[in-house]
Amino acid sequence: MANRIVVDPVTRIEGHLRVELDIQNGKVVDAYSSGTMVRGIEIILKGRDPRDAWAFTERVCGVCTTVHALASVRCVENSLGMIVPPNAEMIRNLMFAAQYMQDHVVHFYHLHALDWVDVVSALSADPAATSTLAQSISKWPNSSPGYFSDLKKRLSKFVESGQLGIFANGYWGHNAYKLPPEANLMAVAHYLEALEWQKEIVKIHTIFGGKNPHPNYLVGGVPCSINLDENNAINAERLAYVGTLLGQAQDFINQVYIPDLLAVASFYKDWAAIGGGLSNYLVYGDLPMNGYNDPSSFKFPRGVIMNRNLNEVQEINPADLEEIQEFVTHSWYEYEEGDETGKHPFEGETKLNFTGPNPPYDQLNVEGKYSWMKTPRWKGNAMEVGPLSRMLVGFASGKDEYVEAVTGVLTALDVPVEALFSTLGRTAARGLETQLMTGWSMEFYNQLMANIKNGDTRTATTELFDPDTWPDEAQGVGMTEAPRGALAHWIKIKDKKINNYQLVVPSTWNASPRDAKGQRSAYEASLIGTPVDDPEKPLEVLRTIHSFDPCIACAVH
Amino acid sequence: MDMIKKTRNVVYVWEFPVRLYHWINALSITVLIATGLLIGHPIGIHLAPEASMTYWFGWVRFLHFAFAFLFFFNFIFRMYWGLVGNEYSRWFNYIPIRKKQWAQIWAVIKSDVLLLKYDEESKPIGHNALASFTYFLTFLAFLLQCLTGFGMYAAMSQSWLPKMFAWFPHLLGGDMMTRQIHHITMWFFILFAMVHIYLVFYHDYIERKGTVSSMIGGWKFVDKDDK
Amino acid sequence: MAIKQKTLYEEIREAGHSRRDFLRFCSMMAAYLGLESSGVAQVVEALENNPRLPVVWFHFQECTCCSESFIRSSHPIVADIILDKISLDYTETLMAAAGNQAEEALHATMEKYHGEYVMLVEGSIPTENEAYCCIGGRSALEIVKEAAEGAKAIIAWGNCASAGCVQAAKPNPTGAKPVHKVLKGKTVINVQGCPPIGEVMAGVIVHILAFGRMPQLDRMGRPKAFYSRRVHDTCYRRPNYDAGLFVESFDDENAKKGYCLYKVGCKGPVTYNACGVIRWNNGTSYPIQSGHPCIGCSEEGFWDNGPFYQHLPSFPGFGIESNADKIGLGLGIATGAGIAAHFLATNVAKRKRIKNEDIVINEK
Ligand code: HEM
Ligand code: HEM
Ligand code: NFV
Ligand code: SF4
Ligand code: SF4
Ligand code: F3S
Ligand SMILES: [Mg+2]
Repeated sequence: MANRIVVDPVTRIEGHLRVELDIQNGKVVDAYSSGTMVRGIEIILKGRDPRDAWAFTERVCGVCTTVHALASVRCVENSLGMIVPPNAEMIRNLMFAAQYMQDHVVHFYHLHALDWVDVVSALSADPAATSTLAQSISKWPNSSPGYFSDLKKRLSKFVESGQLGIFANGYWGHNAYKLPPEANLMAVAHYLEALEWQKEIVKIHTIFGGKNPHPNYLVGGVPCSINLDENNAINAERLAYVGTLLGQAQDFINQVYIPDLLAVASFYKDWAAIGGGLSNYLVYGDLPMNGYNDPSSFKFPRGVIMNRNLNEVQEINPADLEEIQEFVTHSWYEYEEGDETGKHPFEGETKLNFTGPNPPYDQLNVEGKYSWMKTPRWKGNAMEVGPLSRMLVGFASGKDEYVEAVTGVLTALDVPVEALFSTLGRTAARGLETQLMTGWSMEFYNQLMANIKNGDTRTATTELFDPDTWPDEAQGVGMTEAPRGALAHWIKIKDKKINNYQLVVPSTWNASPRDAKGQRSAYEASLIGTPVDDPEKPLEVLRTIHSFDPCIACAVH
Repeated sequence: MDMIKKTRNVVYVWEFPVRLYHWINALSITVLIATGLLIGHPIGIHLAPEASMTYWFGWVRFLHFAFAFLFFFNFIFRMYWGLVGNEYSRWFNYIPIRKKQWAQIWAVIKSDVLLLKYDEESKPIGHNALASFTYFLTFLAFLLQCLTGFGMYAAMSQSWLPKMFAWFPHLLGGDMMTRQIHHITMWFFILFAMVHIYLVFYHDYIERKGTVSSMIGGWKFVDKDDK
Repeated sequence: MAIKQKTLYEEIREAGHSRRDFLRFCSMMAAYLGLESSGVAQVVEALENNPRLPVVWFHFQECTCCSESFIRSSHPIVADIILDKISLDYTETLMAAAGNQAEEALHATMEKYHGEYVMLVEGSIPTENEAYCCIGGRSALEIVKEAAEGAKAIIAWGNCASAGCVQAAKPNPTGAKPVHKVLKGKTVINVQGCPPIGEVMAGVIVHILAFGRMPQLDRMGRPKAFYSRRVHDTCYRRPNYDAGLFVESFDDENAKKGYCLYKVGCKGPVTYNACGVIRWNNGTSYPIQSGHPCIGCSEEGFWDNGPFYQHLPSFPGFGIESNADKIGLGLGIATGAGIAAHFLATNVAKRKRIKNEDIVINEK
């Protein structure tokens, strides 16, 4: 008989995720993933000005802030046939890159690391040995014995105070922790340094969008103007500021994040065989170098991989009514045509329908509806989205930089290609794309500088900004690759107002409940087989879930 | 066709303070509407080479605030005069609480709006009851405009008078709603002024009792049985 | 592990300061708090015996952006707050424990420090159906009410917790309500903004820690220190506004010169926030400086004051394009037409009467 355990709240994620697991013989045999908070943003968007939608949808999530704004302005631009100027495209790319670097680093250190790093064990580390370890893997300057010994003192003082704060009641001393004390102490140091650094990189958003979180976007371009002879606009000082921040980011990622990632991974190679889950991967692609309408110029190529077949990349068309559909069979919504049907987002419907159990409850009714997330499918298949999918599609497309990066990490860890399809693979893929991003962001920056040098300072097209210029009816789709995966917004405009607006979000793909046919989505599938040493302390479950970097506010919206 | 022969008496209806109030009021409201519209829809100027070289829009706001004070004190003065002025300017004329006033309102609607028979029964010397009631509503609108206007002004002023109104925007959930109401109330004044000016000329034309000039000289020409 | 709590006094001693330094610090604090000299003893007593301030941080209907903004604070930096100034005993976003262990940590603090802990709330609370937001199988409403019982102070982070924010925008499908509406009778500090500026969030916490009391609040519960000035009155583009120099459309010549954004919808004139003064992300910029009009994100109900790119809000029921002026103008034209018709009708209906009067003025 399987034993049902519940993890709720799943912490160190964004949002309200609950997982119920059936455990048998120390392994997960079945899993149910549920989003337990809903806001109804799609309902709220109806009847509003399409040009405002970016701000509403940006508030879907503050962790992946900007990505919904980008998908939103793109779907409006797509529906009205607007082409944004090249500078705006580059500025959007730069903001995109900044988002990835911040989000992925925060995920690794502040959301994921404590699954692998035992903070309390760091108290018994030898600062000198820690220094030797740190210096052996990176040239990052904060690595002297004195530095680590100060940190150790601060940490002991903190622990001795008895008020453990965010570290209270953690799974310290759990059998599944494998790092030596020195590696743990180094990781704690970088936990704090990453917290410091992440607030720097986002200043790129502040420079171009006025603030972070939730920088400003604009249908038709970007709101900031470029004028080299004006202190009220993007000028040489602002651009130099961006350049400096990119340089710092490159250092931090290459000298801290990536070495740490490889060091930690080398102790947890068994996790290269756990948590694979689905075998289908979907990527919309993004980071245009030649305009959003030319996917061949994308840094992240578009495509689908089925059955882990890396020899074939299939095409996708999100506007095709037959390809992407959402189901609500196990979700707390209802469809007019019945809850067994699938609906393309252009035809999408959002009507809340809570069927219980009423709070307070101990267990969900997993036979019926059990989550606020809808269940998206591509041609009827469950798909995984996210860093792993992007690396696989890039690799399978044969792009040099991907092949180099992927084979590089496989060699460093001495594991076969199959190791990618795992919890560890997902976490490693996130690091790889962050590293690629450091190089690409410099390309975006240089291209922006070259444009300006050539005299092009346009940042917005405004001919079609006025609703009087719009047709009575229009529809469009805006796609992007959010840090957690493929994201798209679909809009229908009627009489200059939003008639229907649907979001299908990366975490919806991954964290959704079963579909009408009973097929599991990525979280549920990948949890199966995960070992659980102590059902009271579900540390291993957290590892696999965290490898997806859940964002449930996004997933439900 | 018979000539109706009429002999009219001259009566001093609008005392000087009421007339002064009226014209200050008319002037300040006109200025407030003009400047208010500009605040809402500023005309961009494209000639000034540097912001520091002009302050014209600052002046528009200054005018708005200066006339706001004039308007406010003028209004307070009229409230006071409603207590001490002659019978035509007293408060009880403005609020329809007596049966007679309602009868007159109905009579005026029949005669002025529906253009039915002219009701010889209702022959007010001061304002007719419908006009009075409209002025009463106008006074309420004045009050609202002062509450919203000074309420917004409180945030940019250190003086005690505006500060006294600081509570009002909070009541409405913030300055956005306050400003919105302030703006909409302006439209009430514009519509009121259109109808009002038309009607005083209309009455003058129909009745020939000197309605228009009464607000200048104070005198009206009334029938013997007018009350 | 033997666990012993350090008081502020012990920490000060450990940092190498003398008891005299400590007493001097206490009398300074007492002076800040406006206490009589007899009150100094109280402060000494409190600081000698009190542990780090226990704090619990709840997440309800939100986007976690307020948490994100908080960790962007540069002065003080957040690592220092979390490690040295407060004891952040519960926050789903950062805490190591999950599930039952997280709930246990929360309840331990709520029991041990009953009446002592500070409660921070991010997100609104659904009331249409409590099941719209559940944590650990319990509803947000139940959790917030329970935790408020023993809280010494309650801070509502951001527009969600202060005013309901985006999920409370019409038609508010989940009946989202701000904290102060579900905790009637409790003082709630509303740190407004979507999100609030990181330094402002940290500043409010530091205020409570350093001065031992609540900051002064305005009538909407916002700390006056950060929300008493309109964005418009502290906006560096204000001279352009006063001069009548306006951006007419995005990226036009005027936008490139940094003119005032009023005409492209700036809500700075009706928005109270510190953006123009503190600016965002350690003073780097703020929306207006980067060319986008203020959307009024620190005001109650700002989502329904749109559209954002239009100065006047559109009128409910009249469509996006219509606003008070379009309706007013329509009514004005109708009134004018009415007057003209009335004028003509008058001349027809009352011609007889007008013509047939012969008036003699009786000069007395
Ligand atoms: C008949 C009287 C008045 C009229 C018709 C009027 C009209 C207006 C209008 C149309 C606006 C622009 C609102 C917008 O479009 O957002 C405005 C703004 C304003 N009015 Fe008035 N107003 C009147 C009286 C007052 C009074 C008595 C005050 C008291 C101080 C006042 C203070 C203000 C303030 C503070 C503003 C906002 C200015 C700014 O933020 O720059 N107004 N007014
Ligand atoms: C050409 C412009 C105007 C003329 C000739 C005019 C004339 C008059 C006259 C003759 C009266 C007395 C009416 C009666 O006997 O019932 C009156 C009263 C009044 N008018 Fe006007 N008016 C003018 C403009 C305005 C404007 C712009 C306003 C303000 C919006 C205004 C507000 C009032 C008010 C409030 C009263 C009642 C006065 C009181 O009882 O204290 N008038 N006006
Ligand atoms: N899932 C998700 Fe997001 C991301 N990345 C957005 O589209 O996290 Ni907040
Ligand atoms: S107030 Fe705004 S930023 Fe903060 S959680 Fe709510 S939506 Fe996000
Ligand atoms: S940009 Fe906005 S806040 Fe600044 S002066 Fe203009 S209207 Fe005011
Ligand atoms: S939009 Fe918000 S961030 Fe500041 S400038 Fe306006 S209050
Ligand atoms: Mg959706």
